[in-house]
Amino acid sequence: MDVTTERQEGVLTAQVGGRIDGSNVAQFEEAIRTAIDENDRAVLIDCENLGYISSAGLRAVLMTAKSLSSRNAKFALCSMSGPIREVFQISGFDKIVAIHPSRADALASFDS
Amino acid sequence: MLRFSEEVMLLLLNDNGGKFVDVPAPSLDCALAGAVLMDLAMENRIDTDPERLFVIDPTPLDDDLLDPTLERIVESTESHDTAHWIRETAVHADGIHDRSLARLVERGILRQEDDRFMWVFQTRRYPVIDNRTVREVKLRLMGVLFSDEIPDARDILLISLSDVCGIFGSLLSTAELDSAAERIAQVRKLDLMGREVAKAVREIETSLAAAIAMPMH
Repeated sequence: MDVTTERQEGVLTAQVGGRIDGSNVAQFEEAIRTAIDENDRAVLIDCENLGYISSAGLRAVLMTAKSLSSRNAKFALCSMSGPIREVFQISGFDKIVAIHPSRADALASFDS
Repeated sequence: MLRFSEEVMLLLLNDNGGKFVDVPAPSLDCALAGAVLMDLAMENRIDTDPERLFVIDPTPLDDDLLDPTLERIVESTESHDTAHWIRETAVHADGIHDRSLARLVERGILRQEDDRFMWVFQTRRYPVIDNRTVREVKLRLMGVLFSDEIPDARDILLISLSDVCGIFGSLLSTAELDSAAERIAQVRKLDLMGREVAKAVREIETSLAAAIAMPMH
């Protein structure tokens, strides 16, 4: 699992690659938590290179969304492959967290 | 912190008298099995995906509610899905049930009272000593059901277990249950393990119904 981040106009984008499961979920949480700045108005997790996510990974994503929601920052996910999107849909995450087809769509949604 | 199976037992307790709400045995067995698996997941010992349940860390927790199940999963030579482990763990539900109640007594939350009905039949009740803990568990659930906030991971799992057991029917009025139904459905989907517990209960209920409907020869 690897996380690379970039920040533009108060929006943190984290590109996540590889697999997220219970064996590395703590590193994922730590990477996202330390990357988020208190002045960030939105956080986007780009899942284009995410190959696998387990229940533990889904919980970590949800807790990130919860933490940002509590301080009124926006949160979204984007660029999921079919199988990854299916896992998020099965879990009903798409009803709670914004999921966009592309990074451009997600970034545009933060300005609307 | 209480284990999920202890919280389920507290939620099943009637407000007065120390008796438990009647719940279909297969539902309670699956819920207690699911409770143990959920605690193992929260302790980062196991993880799941829609196809399988797998071990992350085989180290025992020195917890007699969880370690026997962890040991069985670790020793298994084949890969199985979550539903399999719910069914397998449900076989041991009586032990989980009794151990959970014993721990609640040890913690000073409940008191065990043995009595005899008609001087013959032994009855057992668990009156509440520490009502604050019971109230806190119930308030946590209500807080999630009647808000739009993203729930905590533990609360999602507890709502899944409560729904499987039909606990909400005894905690909420009919009108409250109606207004919370959509939220319960939304929250219980949020964790794959919670969904698998509900699926296992449905499968067992379906097979029981089929067995009952089968003509006798």
